[in-house]
Amino acid sequence: MSPNTWLRIGWRNLWRHPTRTAITALGLAVGYFAVVFIVGWTEGIAAEMVENATSLVSGQIEIHAGEYRPERSLYETIGGRNGTDVSELLQAVSADPAVVAVAPRVYAGGLISSGDATSAGMLMGIDPLLEPNLSRFLDELSDGRLPITGRNELLIGEEMARQLVVEVGDEIVVVAPGADGSMGNDLFQIAGIFRTGLAEIDASFGVLPVADLQALIVLDPGRIHELVVSTADPWIAEETAERLADLLAPIGLDIEVAPWTELRPEMVEYVSLVDSFYFIIIGVVFVIAMLGVANTMLMSTFERRREFAVMLALGATPVKVVMVVLHEAAAMGLLSLVIGSGITIPIMIWWHNAPPDMSWLYGELTAFGTLMRPTLRVEYNVSVWIQAGLALLVTALLAALYPAARAARVPPADTLSGV
Amino acid sequence: MNGISITAAGVVATLGLGMAPPAGAQTLVAAREIIERVDQVLRGDSSHGVFRMEVVTEHWERELVMETWSLGTDYSLVRVQSPVREAGTATLMADDDIWNYLPKVDRAIKIPASMMAGAWMGSHFTNDDLVKESQLIKDYDIELTYDGDRNGVAVWEFRLTPHPEAAVVWGYVDYQVRQVDYMPLFARYYDEDGALARTMRWSDFRDLGGRFVPAVMEMQPADKPKERTKVVYEELEFNIDIEPSFFSLQMLKSRR
Repeated sequence: MSPNTWLRIGWRNLWRHPTRTAITALGLAVGYFAVVFIVGWTEGIAAEMVENATSLVSGQIEIHAGEYRPERSLYETIGGRNGTDVSELLQAVSADPAVVAVAPRVYAGGLISSGDATSAGMLMGIDPLLEPNLSRFLDELSDGRLPITGRNELLIGEEMARQLVVEVGDEIVVVAPGADGSMGNDLFQIAGIFRTGLAEIDASFGVLPVADLQALIVLDPGRIHELVVSTADPWIAEETAERLADLLAPIGLDIEVAPWTELRPEMVEYVSLVDSFYFIIIGVVFVIAMLGVANTMLMSTFERRREFAVMLALGATPVKVVMVVLHEAAAMGLLSLVIGSGITIPIMIWWHNAPPDMSWLYGELTAFGTLMRPTLRVEYNVSVWIQAGLALLVTALLAALYPAARAARVPPADTLSGV
Repeated sequence: MNGISITAAGVVATLGLGMAPPAGAQTLVAAREIIERVDQVLRGDSSHGVFRMEVVTEHWERELVMETWSLGTDYSLVRVQSPVREAGTATLMADDDIWNYLPKVDRAIKIPASMMAGAWMGSHFTNDDLVKESQLIKDYDIELTYDGDRNGVAVWEFRLTPHPEAAVVWGYVDYQVRQVDYMPLFARYYDEDGALARTMRWSDFRDLGGRFVPAVMEMQPADKPKERTKVVYEELEFNIDIEPSFFSLQMLKSRR
C-alpha cells in the first residue's frame, strides 16, 4: 500500500468520533500556538532590550583610544595627546555600508549647581546635529530643545532638574576638572530637559555640545573620547566592528572598536539564555500534548479491539495494525498543525505589527539598565515555527506508539469470543 | 584625619607642634597620650598663612599660591592668589561642609557628599582631607609599634586603626614621629586590604610665626609614583584675632 493510502485510512479513522478528534486536534493546535507565541514573545523581550540598550543612549559600536576602557580617563582621547582630525574619522567610519549613523562624544565628570543645590554629574559632549541620528534619548525632550554650539547651553535629565529645582531657561553653574589641572567652570543655560526613564542617567547626565565641553575642560577641538556608531541591526554590530577596526588600523592611531556584545556581555548572556529557555518551553508544552494524544489514542484503540481482532484474524500482520494506528496519529498531527498554524500565523502577524500597549498595566520597565517599552512585542522566528510543527508531528507519533503496540497485540480469538 | 590638613592650624595639629619637647623624650610615652596632646594643642588655635602648592601629575604640573585662615578644627578658608587666571577661587570649610567659590561665575558651590572623596583643586588631597580634622582619639585605636632609632634618629612609630564604626576610608595608618621635637616624619595610609595607598611626608622643620613646624608636606599616591602634591609654607602666624563669623559665604566671595 502506498503511504497515501495509509494516511487516507488514518484520516478516515479519525472521523469515527468527530467531536473527540476535534477536541484533541484543537488541544494540540493550542499547544502549537502557545509554543510559537511564547518563543516569539520571549524573543520580543530580548530584542526590545538589545535595541534599547544599543539605541537609547549608547550605540551599537563604540570607538575609543585603546587605553580608554575601563577607566575612561579624561586624558585618553582618540589619537592621544594630539587628538585627531575628527571630521576625517567620522567620514571614514560612515563610509562603511553597515553604518547608519556615527557621532563624536566627549565625557567629563563634574558638578552641576543651581542655588544651594549641587549634583555630581557626568557631562556628555555631543554633536547636536549628528547625535539625534544615533541615540533616541534626545528625540523627544520632555521640555525645551537641543543645545546650540557656542551659546553655553545644556540639557539635563528630568530627575536632575527636579533635584536642582530648575527649568528650561534657568542658569546653572557647571564645574569640571580641566585637562590642564585647572577647575573649569562656567555658567550655562538649560536649553532642554530629557528623559530616558533610566534613573541613573536622568539624575546625573548633563548633555552639551562637544565644543562647549572641550572649552570648559580645556581640551583641544581634536580631542574626543568616543565615536558612537549605530548599525541597521544590532546583530551585525560585531562583524561591522571588525571591519571598522581593519579600516581604521592603517591610520596608525591606537584605537579600540568595541561592539555592544563586548561592552554589554550580560545582554549577550541573557539572549542566549532566552534561546535555550524556549527549548524547555517547547518540551513542556509537548509533553502535555503527548499525554493528551496518548489518552485519546488509547481510548480509540480500546474501543476498536474487536476491529483489530478481526483484522488480525483475517491475516493482517501486527505491523499493519501498528501502521493503521500510527497513521491515524499522523493524520491527527497534520490536522492539528493546519488548525494550529491557521490560528497562530494571523495572530503573530497582527501582534508583531500592532503590539498591544501594556503601559496601563505595568508603567515602564527597566531591566539590565535598559528601558523597555511595555508592549507585548513578538518576534517572528520562522525556524521555530517549523521546529515546533515538526515537534508536533513527532509528538503525535510518539504518543501513538504505546496504543499501537497494544492494538497489535490484541488476541483475536479471546477478543472476538468474549463478547 | 589629622595628618593632612593643609591649613596652618592643621600643620600645627599634625605635628603636635607647639609642644615643647618633653624633657625625657627617650622615656616611653604612652601612645595615646602623645596623640592626645597633639589634639589639645589644636583646640582653639587660629592661624593665618601663605603657602605654595605644587601639583605634579602624569598629565600636567601646576603651582598655586594660596592664602589661608583657620580657627580651631572647624573653620578654615583658603583663597588662591596666583596664577592670576584662578585668583580669587576660594574654599571654605565650616564644620563638615565645603564650599568652593568660583570668581568667574561669581557663585559658591557646596560640594555634595558624593564628591567628598574627589580631589581638592586638582591636588592629591581629597575634600574629605580638608574637613576630617583631627579625630584621632575618637576614630582610631592608637598603638605604639616602635620606639627607637631609624637611620640614627630616635622615633616613635604608631599604627592607627580606625574603630569599626568610624567613617574612615583607611584600613590603618602608620605614623612616624621624631622623638626629639615631636615632629612627624611620615604617615602611610593603607587601604582595607592592607595595600599602601598614599604617603605623606613632612620636612623642612623650622620656625614659622614663632613656632617650630614642618614647612613642607608632600603627598604621594602609591599607585602613581611620579605624581605628588607638595605644600610649602611661606608665611605663618598663629593666634590671630579672628571670629567664627569670618568663615562665612560672604567672606568666601570677597576678593580683598
